[in-house]
Amino acid sequence: MNTKTKYLLKLTLAVVVLLISVISINQSFDFSTVNLDQITAEKPLFGADEFKYEAPTADAGDSALSSKINWAIFIFVILLVLVIANTLDISKYISKITGKETINQNEINKWIMLIFMIVGLAAVVWEYQVHGKLILLNNSSSEHGASYDSMFTITLALTTIVFFITQFLLFWFAFTYAKKDGQKALYYSHNNKLEVIWTIIPSIVLTVLVLRGHQTWKSVVYAEDNYKGKIKKIEVFAYQFGWKARYAGEDGVLGNVDYKFISGKNELGLAYGPEVDDLLVELKDKIKLDQEAIKNLKVTLASLNIDYSAADGLKDYTTMEAIQKQIDDVMDGTTLSELEASIKRKTKQIDRIEAIKNNPKIFASTFTGSEEDDIITQEIHLSKDSLVTLNFRSRDIIHSAWLPHFRAQMNVVPGMPTKFTFKPTKSTTEAKKEFGEEFEYYLYCNKICGTSHYNMKIKVVVESQVEVDAWLKSQQPVFKKVEAVPAIMNAIDSTLATEPVNKLALK
Amino acid sequence: MSTVEITANPTIDSPTHHDEHGHHDHHHKQSFISKYIFSTDHKMISKQYLITGIIMGCFGMGMSLLFRMQLAWPDETFPLFESLLGKWGKGGKLDPNYYMALVTIHGTIMVFYVLTAGLSGTFSNLLIPLQVGARDMASPFMNMLSYWFFFLSSVVLMSSFLVETGPASSGWTVYPPLSALEKAMPGSGLGTTLWLVAIILFIVSALLGGINYIVTVLNMRTKGMSMNRLPLTIWAFLLTAVLGLLSFPVLLGAGLLLIFDRSFGTSFYLSDIHLNGVGALSNSGGSPVLYQHLFWFLGHPEVYIILMPALGISSEVISTNARKPIFGYTAMVISLIGISFLSFIVWGHHMFITGMNPFLGTMFMYVTLIIAVPSAVKTFNYLATLWKGNIRFTTGMMFAIGLVSLFISGGLTGIYLGNAALDIQLHDSYFVVAHFHLVMGSAAIFGMFAGIYHWFPKMFGKMMNKTLGTLHFWLTFISAYLVFFPMHFMGLAGVPRRYYQFSLIPEFDIWMDVNVFITVSAFLGGVAQLLFLYNFFNSIFRGEKATKNPWESNTLEWTTPVEHIHGNWPGAIPTVYRGPHEYSRPDRESDYFPQNDPGNGEPEHYHAPVPIDTSYSGPKEKPSKVFFSSFAHLFLAKKVQA
Ligand code: HEM
Ligand SMILES: [Cu+2]
Ligand SMILES: [Cu+2]
Repeated sequence: MNTKTKYLLKLTLAVVVLLISVISINQSFDFSTVNLDQITAEKPLFGADEFKYEAPTADAGDSALSSKINWAIFIFVILLVLVIANTLDISKYISKITGKETINQNEINKWIMLIFMIVGLAAVVWEYQVHGKLILLNNSSSEHGASYDSMFTITLALTTIVFFITQFLLFWFAFTYAKKDGQKALYYSHNNKLEVIWTIIPSIVLTVLVLRGHQTWKSVVYAEDNYKGKIKKIEVFAYQFGWKARYAGEDGVLGNVDYKFISGKNELGLAYGPEVDDLLVELKDKIKLDQEAIKNLKVTLASLNIDYSAADGLKDYTTMEAIQKQIDDVMDGTTLSELEASIKRKTKQIDRIEAIKNNPKIFASTFTGSEEDDIITQEIHLSKDSLVTLNFRSRDIIHSAWLPHFRAQMNVVPGMPTKFTFKPTKSTTEAKKEFGEEFEYYLYCNKICGTSHYNMKIKVVVESQVEVDAWLKSQQPVFKKVEAVPAIMNAIDSTLATEPVNKLALK
Repeated sequence: MSTVEITANPTIDSPTHHDEHGHHDHHHKQSFISKYIFSTDHKMISKQYLITGIIMGCFGMGMSLLFRMQLAWPDETFPLFESLLGKWGKGGKLDPNYYMALVTIHGTIMVFYVLTAGLSGTFSNLLIPLQVGARDMASPFMNMLSYWFFFLSSVVLMSSFLVETGPASSGWTVYPPLSALEKAMPGSGLGTTLWLVAIILFIVSALLGGINYIVTVLNMRTKGMSMNRLPLTIWAFLLTAVLGLLSFPVLLGAGLLLIFDRSFGTSFYLSDIHLNGVGALSNSGGSPVLYQHLFWFLGHPEVYIILMPALGISSEVISTNARKPIFGYTAMVISLIGISFLSFIVWGHHMFITGMNPFLGTMFMYVTLIIAVPSAVKTFNYLATLWKGNIRFTTGMMFAIGLVSLFISGGLTGIYLGNAALDIQLHDSYFVVAHFHLVMGSAAIFGMFAGIYHWFPKMFGKMMNKTLGTLHFWLTFISAYLVFFPMHFMGLAGVPRRYYQFSLIPEFDIWMDVNVFITVSAFLGGVAQLLFLYNFFNSIFRGEKATKNPWESNTLEWTTPVEHIHGNWPGAIPTVYRGPHEYSRPDRESDYFPQNDPGNGEPEHYHAPVPIDTSYSGPKEKPSKVFFSSFAHLFLAKKVQA
């Protein structure tokens, strides 16, 4: 038997071993059945849009499965290493006997290049067909989405063509121009004409793309300016970790807001007099508590120490750790400086609110009364076929409001109002027909904002104007109409009451 | 240039200290510490960079495998998590905060520690003096400092894993306010402080290194090494260093302001914030978008800082192993310069939908698509270099070809993302993850591997095992595509990035099997890297001994002895007579022509005796025909050759 066939035999053997290992893994763990079932089984109640993270609990079935996977991977690694070592040994052994390089690696690699190209490009075609079907294309639910999709299609077509041509050339050249003994490469160092051509052609193509892109971009970002009529405005409010929508009430005007007015009962910080008064009282109380706490630091420390010794050894390690941290914080002054910072912060907040209250002009333009009938909701309802502007506001961190089905996205930045204007064209009912009964539109958070970023979404419903109105009627305005004029409102000099001004816009 | 003249006449002892070393080094023995630890020899520093980079790479890769496990099997428990991560993996479940920490540190490590320091640091240090013909860096001492700042920075970064609240976890971009407010996320506490300190140390290291590279290339070239005879590697390293020098200080500024906001109560990036559990903050007037502008002013050049050395390396490796001059040397250099310049004015394409004025978005879209042109030119030039070559598939060569393939695949999706309109939908989706992992991650890593395999004989005097190398290449190449290609489709279907798990959103259920597939493929890639590690360290100690010029290359580094000596050349520094890519000249017997070979009066560039294009370019020719006729040239050239 000559060395080549011998080698081929061994190689076949190696491949067989590898195949068996792959098959055995496949049998020990069937990806297709196990995963989907498991996941759907544990899905939490859908539609609740405010989540606190709760560590998912494990059950016995899971750990059995995971150990199976671990084993499968382990076996795979071992087998692979064995196969490689085996192959290496053979080739070394043979070359020692024959005294020359046994395998012409250049030839082998040349063929793998070709095979890689064929299989790879075929796989790309396959991907386009299988997963390409799942992408969001030509099914947009907004008006500008259609022009977005056509822009995308053009880009996709062009890049796909270039992709296939260049990848083909690359691997084809690698294959055909692989080293041949006694041959010399062509000395060919430049060709100015060719280079000019392949500079100009991409330039032209890119110019076309960029001009189209500019057109689409303009139509999307200036949609509000380009539209002459009145556009309905909805405020979308983001916070760690959830969304709220705010609709104007009967007066058709969104009331003023200020982050300084945010409190437990006034989550969006509306400029509503009674709540702001309550907040002032609450802040003052808290300052008192903090001052109290500073005075009592020694006592706290003593009681913590008692707790600590009472907790008795390592029985509950987490609690022990927590107590120890509190003790440390008191000892090294962290607690003190935190309390002091808190007092300072709250004093400043009070000062700033009082400053607004004490300046009649600002007061009047802030507390206009138009916030009273605003409606705060847990869902966004949009009316089909009419333009809407979502005004975004963040309470804390940068979030991003992404509505993939509407091809709409905008960051939500604290301290800087942003907006996105678009026209939904496909109602939820229609979308359900297209995407399946369970389908719902969602607005997802798409800028990392902390622990529960992955679960920060709000349901979006597109329906007829009549349905939207009916739904809005069923929602409670934030602050019920109060008959008696609240104390703070008495201060308004009616002559000073001016047109409602959007406070954020003034900044 | 004065230094050139000094070194030009090697028989006279030059007054620079490098020559002193060159002549006297073998007389005294260096201590272990001065040889291996606080070495000022560029070759040793290069090895230090490489090994540190590889170690950091192992961490970065390990982290990606851990969080990929979470993405593929969100409902499983893995005891591994608990044993590795302690309280962050309680009961075998990965904590969502820690997931983000792993992603953040993975990104940071890969971008800065592996592909900036590990790639540029290693090869700039190794190749600049050797390829331009200098005895060492302009300032060997600063060079040593540069490495040790990098080392310190790595230690500080990794030490954030020991912190109670965990490492920084607001993404590798550490956007405030998330990163600025301690109470916003556990990782934004001490972890982020350490991250910032580590980055500042890193910037110091990058600046010390960068100045050195620039000065060495400009001032210390040997006689005859004019700028148009520099290997493309050196051009790439030079421009990379310039980019770093101009952009890293801006990141330093951004970082300092962030530190002020975090610790000293300023409001550069903060305004109108009411934080859960804290209440309304006093900060007002700052803008988080300011940070993004500053960050991306570095961030975009940074991707070219990562990519250009890889492109330079692959140019050199491809030319050597295709046995052909690199096609369009001048065009390649102009492209590099064009990319370098443009990379400073395109940063806004990362910010199309941050609420920045849409008009700015328009401008950034235009310049971004312009930058695609030089990138395309480079690709075509690589293809033309392979055309009619005599290709030897050394491991380095295969990685270089892999780089070109990945660069094409990843570069094309840049055309989508640079288009402001398309970015509305694609921003922060998995499409972006696919794009940058191919074009910046994988392509640059492939360049790094190409460099390692190609210059391993120069670094360690040994050869790496070729079979293992081949296996490493194919497994890595296949796994890179298997991992990142499907991610495009996920992104296009609306799957957001930086999500801890997708199983809470039923719409994404259809991607679960793809997620599993990706993770398994990533493990395949991981196994391939084990082969590399084994091959690398085994070859250092037990590899076959290398010859002086194993790849029959033209450049100067292969004229130095296999055993490293301080000062690089035992005798005079060689003089250079021609460009670095004179392979397969028809007027020469052998298929290479070293830069330092005076030859027998051959011209610097070979011109074909029969001008190739006379019969095709006449004044009568229609412009439409020009395109086709140039392809005809290619075939004509073949006949001339035959
Ligand atoms: C072992 C191969 C790798 C795998 C499996 C992998 C996988 C991932 C995944 C799944 C993410 C998270 C994406 C997200 O949710 O946003 C990620 C993030 C990232 N990776 Fe990789 N990666 C690999 C190698 C690399 C390399 C070589 C680079 C070098 C540039 C890199 C750079 C990054 C960056 C910059 C991020 C973003 C981090 C962030 O979001 O803050 N990765 N990687
Ligand atoms: Cu978020
Ligand atoms: Cu960029």
